[in-house]
Amino acid sequence: MPDNILEVKNLTKWFPLRRGIWQFLRGQQRYARAVDGVSFVIERGEILGLIGESGCGKTTTGKLIMKLMEASSGEIIFNGENVTHLRRPELQKYRRSVQMIFQDPYASMNPRFKIRSVLQEPIVIHSLGRSYNEREAMITKALEEVKLMPATDFMSRFPHMLSGGQRQRAATARALILTPSMLVADEPVSMIDLSTRAEILQMMKTLHKELNLTYLYITHDLSTARYFTDRIAVMYLGKIVEIGAAEDVVEKPGHPYTRALIEAVCEPVTGKLDLIKHLPIKEGEIPSPANIPKGCRFHTRCIHAKPECWEQAEPDLIEIGNKHKVACRRYNEIK
Amino acid sequence: MSAQDLTYWLKDFWNEFKKVPSGIIGVVILLLALAIVFFEHQILPFPDGNTRWRDITYWDDNPKSAPPVWTNIFRSKKLATSARLALGEKKMNAMEGLQCVEQTFDYDYQFDSPPLDIIIRVKGKSSVLLVIKLARPDNFGVELLQAQFDFLGDEEKRLSLDSDARKSLPDFLSQFAAPEAVRTIDPSTIVPTRVLFAKTQDILTNPQPLKGKYRFTVTAILMQEDSKIHDTSIVISGSTAGLLGTDSGKRDIFTGIIAGTKWALLLGILTALISVGIGVVYGVVSAYFGGVVDTIMSRVFEIFVSVPLLPVLIVMSAVFKPSIWVLILMMCCFFWTGPVKTVRSMALQLKEETYIEATRALGGSHLRLIFKHMVPILIPYSFASMALSVPSAIVYEATISLIGLGDATIVTWGQILHDALTGGAVLSSIWWWVIPPGLMISLMGMTFAFIGFAMDKILHPKLRTR
Amino acid sequence: MTNVLEVNNLKLYYYTSKGVVRALDDITFSLQEGETLGIVGESGCGKTTAGLALLNMPMPPGKIAGGQIIIDGQDIVPLAEKEMRRHVRWQKIAMVFQGAMNCLTPVFTIGKLMMETMLEHKTMKKEEAWHIIEKYLGYVGLPAGVTKRYPHELSGGMKQRVVIAMALFMNPKVVVFDEPTTALDVIVQCQILNLIKKLKLEKALLSCIFITHDLATEAEVANRIMVMYGGKIAEIGTNQQIYSERAAHPYTKKLLAATPRLHQKVDHLSFIPGAPPDLLAPPTGCRFHLRCEVAMGKCSAQEPPLIEIEPDHKVACWKVGYKE
Ligand SMILES: Nc1ncnc2c1ncn2[C@@H]1O[C@H](COP(=O)(O)OP(=O)(O)OP(=O)(O)O)[C@@H](O)[C@H]1O
Ligand SMILES: Nc1ncnc2c1ncn2[C@@H]1O[C@H](COP(=O)(O)OP(=O)(O)OP(=O)(O)O)[C@@H](O)[C@H]1O
Ligand SMILES: [Mg+2]
Ligand SMILES: [Mg+2]
Repeated sequence: MPDNILEVKNLTKWFPLRRGIWQFLRGQQRYARAVDGVSFVIERGEILGLIGESGCGKTTTGKLIMKLMEASSGEIIFNGENVTHLRRPELQKYRRSVQMIFQDPYASMNPRFKIRSVLQEPIVIHSLGRSYNEREAMITKALEEVKLMPATDFMSRFPHMLSGGQRQRAATARALILTPSMLVADEPVSMIDLSTRAEILQMMKTLHKELNLTYLYITHDLSTARYFTDRIAVMYLGKIVEIGAAEDVVEKPGHPYTRALIEAVCEPVTGKLDLIKHLPIKEGEIPSPANIPKGCRFHTRCIHAKPECWEQAEPDLIEIGNKHKVACRRYNEIK
Repeated sequence: MSAQDLTYWLKDFWNEFKKVPSGIIGVVILLLALAIVFFEHQILPFPDGNTRWRDITYWDDNPKSAPPVWTNIFRSKKLATSARLALGEKKMNAMEGLQCVEQTFDYDYQFDSPPLDIIIRVKGKSSVLLVIKLARPDNFGVELLQAQFDFLGDEEKRLSLDSDARKSLPDFLSQFAAPEAVRTIDPSTIVPTRVLFAKTQDILTNPQPLKGKYRFTVTAILMQEDSKIHDTSIVISGSTAGLLGTDSGKRDIFTGIIAGTKWALLLGILTALISVGIGVVYGVVSAYFGGVVDTIMSRVFEIFVSVPLLPVLIVMSAVFKPSIWVLILMMCCFFWTGPVKTVRSMALQLKEETYIEATRALGGSHLRLIFKHMVPILIPYSFASMALSVPSAIVYEATISLIGLGDATIVTWGQILHDALTGGAVLSSIWWWVIPPGLMISLMGMTFAFIGFAMDKILHPKLRTR
Repeated sequence: MTNVLEVNNLKLYYYTSKGVVRALDDITFSLQEGETLGIVGESGCGKTTAGLALLNMPMPPGKIAGGQIIIDGQDIVPLAEKEMRRHVRWQKIAMVFQGAMNCLTPVFTIGKLMMETMLEHKTMKKEEAWHIIEKYLGYVGLPAGVTKRYPHELSGGMKQRVVIAMALFMNPKVVVFDEPTTALDVIVQCQILNLIKKLKLEKALLSCIFITHDLATEAEVANRIMVMYGGKIAEIGTNQQIYSERAAHPYTKKLLAATPRLHQKVDHLSFIPGAPPDLLAPPTGCRFHLRCEVAMGKCSAQEPPLIEIEPDHKVACWKVGYKE
């Protein structure tokens, strides 16, 4: 088996925008380029964090990998096999290897299903287990893996009878029943209470070790990413602008955008009252993915931008050391 | 949902519902209607009227086009009401070696206008000699009939005063009037009930009612060893009848109304259930697949919505001569459009729910998503639309029946109205034939409309006044 | 410094069909002029309920079951709804509701929305209202042009700014912010926090109550922090006391330990096992004792009172401030 469990090559997803009557008549079509040429690899057993502000295309990337939508172009290679345009029944097989945990634990389970039915769903869909007992055993095992014990007690509950953290565990259990080798976790803790957030991350880490899972961890919260991930990819407006080991990215950020993200993080320490934080980023509106700036896509908000940034072509990711790559032409000058 | 949650939900729902008075009225009337259906057999004055509505012989004993009994309250001259006389005594005695059965029936006559007719029904076996006598409060007696009957098998004989007792009248009358006067009168012009229940004075020229207790005695002499008599009954065919009167076919309208209730409910609720079921699935499928499928399905929906329903239903009924079940199906073909719009827009939202996406990520099929996840959630939201399509189903059935295209094997309110129309109820001002079915149709419509609006208010809180 | 707001023994219960939810149970605190009080706690501990209670507008089936809310020397609990609306709500105390930015009516432009809110509060000429709207949009750092746009055309941060501007219209003395930064990404979150800080610098007498579940955000804005647990106050202390390892209540300590920090790589974050108490039937004694590592016999038997352990620092815990 290849070292890289997942390889994403130049992945794009363009959403067609609604056309006005004139554009329609002229046959023009504009697109929101939500994901605009994303490439990265995830090694087996690694946790990659995908970070960026709202609307930069993180969820879309996750859904593309999950095959919940069709990519506009590019390739997704899973275990050496191109899965970009997979259809049933191969798709069903792929779904058993890659699963997803969603952001909102309050919405990711049908409110009318008991936890047992929720967990039964993947079993029924994939016709796993030969007997009733075997299925029950699978459900129990999955619930115990995520530390929802006693399992029988939780099985007969409805989602609304669980706390946010417990629901997220149940959602994880549902994904684990299919024994996937990779999990896409889309902001799994952003809607969970601070007091239990750490617990969920801890559990996910334990699973990572015990089941040898690989994670794509999507978030906008750098502090949990620092804690949870091995590597971090920073995304801006549909493209990855920096990627490297979590430590490197947080402590030695190369891209001005990453710096702004780090600067913006709040920390529970005293003495910051009435201090206005000056983010190294221009205020004003974020460009929309329908109208991505020419040249370096960040130049409109970059405080270091020079004419070369918007006059020359978009910078590629350049290695600045130890697999740490940055897509900034002037990273050296602005250190 | 667990039982406990359900009870809480119901409790909350009921708490909300209580705040809508029209909804409460609706529920009360609906419960009454259900009670009527449930206890139909106890309520029906003519237990077989339900199945034998169009069987003329069944209604023979009733007066024709008689107003309801309670109209007497508003009359100075009380009209005799229809009644079935209770069996008073039954005596068996032997007479010259023959068995003899004597049965008495008491009739308390307190009216100003005599009944139209009196009908005696006897069941028997083999050869029987029947003697029917009437004892009047003034101690005069009349032998109404004496005749021998040969019953074939377990046959029933129907004797009516009007046709079978005329022969005895001259003898009776001649006791009080001059025999010549009696003889000159054409017996066919004498109305038996008028003279039998009249004071002896001026009995021929101007009979006045003689109020008091009358007694019919039916004596049966069993002529043969195996002769038998049983189930004797006497029915007074008054000039007022029943709670709601009778129609020109002598049918008891109250029976028709009660028997029609269950059909109205069945037809209304079944149509609503089926059509809303179809509508919900249609809306969900349309929203779920989106794109071209949605466009096509929306067009089809629009076509169905814009079809003028009544003319189409009339034409279809004329062609198919539908039974009630076919009629229900026909209505479902058009009624399903009701919930589609709301359901489609809600399904469009629901489609974006994370758990739908999560199931897709698990590999769930379209069928699973539609029927296991979306439809069950949207069903409660269509309750209101369901309640609202009940009245239209009832009204459409009534309309189709009204023009005579309904199911001829049952009785519905619409058909009673139809009969009233063709029977000239309006011309001869038989109002009691027209108003009750009309009222019931609108009442039932209103009931479900009330319930529907109340549910709509609760289930679609957007309409709630803030 | 004078207190603009004083809350004494406030109780707010929800009378549901399942029973009485004691969402606020005997709460006492005060707010000084120009101060920001942060309310933190887990989901369901009664933070939003506290905010709504301060405006005397409990969400049905909730009712204020006792206590006083003194704003500007006047107890507003007994005031009639009409009175509240005319003289107190929005004029003296205003609130930015949780998730309000997602509840802007999508069919109206921002200008129309703001105008309506404005005219609802006070009768004035349209021109005058426009003037005020533009002024307040300036305060929250939005160009006047946004009045012509629809809510869905604005980003989350811009919508939040619009909502904040709307709360400020009547120039209230106290503004309650209910989770204004939750669900926003870090950059926008930082900008909103900056905005609130700026507002306070510009309007020196503005007092705020800042509700959130994130202790890290609270550190940026709140002069004093009130930690709530299960409808009760667990601890109140100044920013310094809480964040410089002098937090006293075990719950506060646990919460702080569970907050991840960016520049410290830790292998193990601590967390609080178990779930917050069901306010329909809260546990006896200290409400935290079931999840507390240092709980002792007394904790489950008797409820600890809120006592002052040092100036400005109050804690409700049998382990703190008592001799064994
Ligand atoms: N189905 C869709 N149709 C059209 N545009 C879409 C669709 N889904 C997403 N987008 C657009 O694509 C862009 C990226 O969205 P995405 O949800 O991936 O962002 P995100 O990084 O996950 O943001 P968040 O942190 O808010 O979750 C957004 O501008 C969004 O408006
Ligand atoms: N309308 C209501 N009816 C009944 N109970 C309610 C109602 N609103 C809130 N509650 C209950 O009151 C308690 C406090 O709720 P509140 O919304 O104040 O919590 P919160 O601290 O703001 O939580 P969150 O962080 O989730 O916003 C909870 O237990 C909740 O279940
Ligand atoms: Mg997202
Ligand atoms: Mg809240």
